[in-house]
Amino acid sequence: MDVLANLGHGFIVALEPLNLFWCFAGVFLGTVVGVMPGLGPAATIAMLLPLTFKMPPTSALIMLAGIYYGAKYGGSTTAILLNVPGESASVVTCLDGYQMARKGRAGAALGIAAIASFIAGTVGVVALMLVAPPLAKFGLAFSSPEYFALMVLGLAMVVLLAGESLVKALLAMLVGLWIAGMGIDLFSDASRFTFGNSEMLDGVDFVIVAIGVFALSEVFANMEQREESTMLPVPKGLRNLLPTMAELKACRFAFLNGSVVGFIIGVLPGAGSTIASFISYGLEKAVSKHPEKFGTGVPEGVAAPEGANNSETGGALVPLLTLGIPGSGTTAILLAAFVLWGLKPGPLMIQDNPELFWGLVASMYVGNVMLLVLNLPLIPLFAQILKLPSYLLYPIILGISLVGVYTVSSSLFDCYMLAAFGLLGYLMRRLDYPSAPLILGLVLGDAMERALRQSLMMSQGDLGILVSRPISATMLVLAVLLLIMPLFRKFNSWRVRAIEENG
Amino acid sequence: MTLRTSIIMAACAAALAAGPAWAQFKPTKPVEIVVHTGPGGGADVLARFMTQLIEKENLAPVRFQVNNRDGGGGLRAMAYVAEKKGDTHTIAIFTGNWLTNPLVRAEAKFTLKDMQPVARLVLEPAVVAVKADAPFKTMKDFIEAAKKTPGTLKQSGGSQTSRDNVVRQLLMKSTGANWAYISFPGGGERIAALLGGHVNMMVIEPQEAGEHIKAGNMRVIAQVAEKRLAPYPNVPTLKEAGYEIPNVPQVRGVVMPSGVAPDVVAYYEDLFQRMVKTPTWRKYLEDQQFEDGFQKSVELGKFFDTFTNQMREILKEAGTPVVR
Repeated sequence: MDVLANLGHGFIVALEPLNLFWCFAGVFLGTVVGVMPGLGPAATIAMLLPLTFKMPPTSALIMLAGIYYGAKYGGSTTAILLNVPGESASVVTCLDGYQMARKGRAGAALGIAAIASFIAGTVGVVALMLVAPPLAKFGLAFSSPEYFALMVLGLAMVVLLAGESLVKALLAMLVGLWIAGMGIDLFSDASRFTFGNSEMLDGVDFVIVAIGVFALSEVFANMEQREESTMLPVPKGLRNLLPTMAELKACRFAFLNGSVVGFIIGVLPGAGSTIASFISYGLEKAVSKHPEKFGTGVPEGVAAPEGANNSETGGALVPLLTLGIPGSGTTAILLAAFVLWGLKPGPLMIQDNPELFWGLVASMYVGNVMLLVLNLPLIPLFAQILKLPSYLLYPIILGISLVGVYTVSSSLFDCYMLAAFGLLGYLMRRLDYPSAPLILGLVLGDAMERALRQSLMMSQGDLGILVSRPISATMLVLAVLLLIMPLFRKFNSWRVRAIEENG
Repeated sequence: MTLRTSIIMAACAAALAAGPAWAQFKPTKPVEIVVHTGPGGGADVLARFMTQLIEKENLAPVRFQVNNRDGGGGLRAMAYVAEKKGDTHTIAIFTGNWLTNPLVRAEAKFTLKDMQPVARLVLEPAVVAVKADAPFKTMKDFIEAAKKTPGTLKQSGGSQTSRDNVVRQLLMKSTGANWAYISFPGGGERIAALLGGHVNMMVIEPQEAGEHIKAGNMRVIAQVAEKRLAPYPNVPTLKEAGYEIPNVPQVRGVVMPSGVAPDVVAYYEDLFQRMVKTPTWRKYLEDQQFEDGFQKSVELGKFFDTFTNQMREILKEAGTPVVR
């Protein structure tokens, strides 16, 4: 077997003591960066780039990739404990993760996040190793019409994210779409809803809205309670801090779902891990036997998005390594690093530098194990945070949120925006509007509008391009099915009632 | 040798190393290099390479640190630099965007006129590429096909004010041909659209295209450069192919806040002059297939004026509303 021989060679490279050290340094730094909201893996890699010039490229790549996937492990920590999404892809983890923490299952949620990350991360590497070149071709078949259909499919998930009222969910989603439209329009270069403010030209950063609507509104809602609110329950003993067998069993499908969805979406250069985590959460809920429990703290609701988020890394490396095409901010800076190291990223890189590719693949197996070993013992430690009385806990959440937003852009304007979105989130909560659809609209809106307009430019204004291409047509049909599903359920319940009344 | 003589000698050596006698200013704390992109963007990568080079070659007594002020299509970084009037420890990497964006954005509070030119560093040429199995062998094939079926051929590129689109506008104007321009925010998406056969042509940086050409995925049909680039001796420049359009290079260099003393400007000017002479820098230019565009402060100021006027005309003709 060619692959096994190559992989064996890769392990020889990855297990060299020096490379093991760099791998550990990378995943450790990645975890730290992931835990802290704001400072993302892209910025960290950029800061460390000058250090890597003196290192052999393989060691440097092993370390930088470690930061990349390590950050995804860490990102769930603040999402679960504090409802503060550490990075954009952890937003979905907030939905059920934080609810689990409120029920005293914080340790279990963190454990499931780590295990899902490990499984999906490893599946992602296996897939990267086995199917990279053919899959890269599949990624190229995706263009604007397909991306539009993918985004529509994502938006149709609103049905699954809606709480009591689908109308309220749709309204929240439309507000999200509207916010996504703010800033410079790529095609006409016009500014939209900037009110003459140069700070608004880039639109509203998704992280600001997510932290505002999730974390800040949580703080505001808790300030309402005049009496000394009770601490969140944290069970004693290590065993009670880890997920139970029943919880892990409930996540069986979620582990697989997250791994597959994350990898496939990762391969597409124009999608991204946030979309991957939303879609895998939606899928999990769609096939679940108890979809009504999602959002109240079910372990699958943590496992699916966390898995997708980590498996996406393996997927995103496919176009980067096989074609030299970066799909996200982090892979873009990895591409820049290749160039600075004197490598030539592109279709020939794996062929010209086999030890680099296989060393990286092997190091990612090693790194995923290291991350699991590193993260599991930290769980009891992190879970203690919730023991803080609320007069300490909520100010800490507030502080972390503000610092997180400020480190992204070092702009005070963004902090004011954070406050505004915190208030919006609080109002939505009081009026019973779900906040996840707002975030969904915001994440997908920009890319969806862009894809639609690109498609129409390609077809000279003919909408037929969206349904005449098989991949895009299939996804649009799925989206329609998803949207009319609740109608069927309603119809069914009427019918049942009618039969009962007649009988 | 006594301690005193060695101190004097060291001081003399330091004075010599600092350059000509008129360079009295010397930075005393870390110098901030402002860039308008996030980590990994073109200007950011250049700035990080420069900080490393300055440190490695010992060109300055202090460290240089990159400060990412991304956002607003460069306007945020520009405002940041312009508002630091008189700051002697801040410099910034400018690109063509810094010249064109204030022309089309009413929100811009500052232009490069509000900053002090220091040095121009690189000119980045480009090539016109098509997919390897496309029927177009020359630029003429493409233009003729575009004339036959106006609006159906497609080019992938960046924003409306980017160099890609300016080259297209100029070519369409000079030939009467017409083809569509589809904006993609990321460079990767532009290449993916071409390789996937969703668009027909793109203007691409030679370093980005190099490996795809070697692997037989792409073909270069013309060069957007003053003279032929070394890797493509047989591909004509647009001028050689018979398209008389002004050359539109992507330009990068250094500016700093206005209101600093002449010796401060002279110091940085001299620093970058020493930097561009190092072998590491020459190799960097070669690897990236950049042209050496070094210009000193005064010439750079003149370049700003001519480039701005040229861009204003081009944008007006392209139908983009120009606000200043």
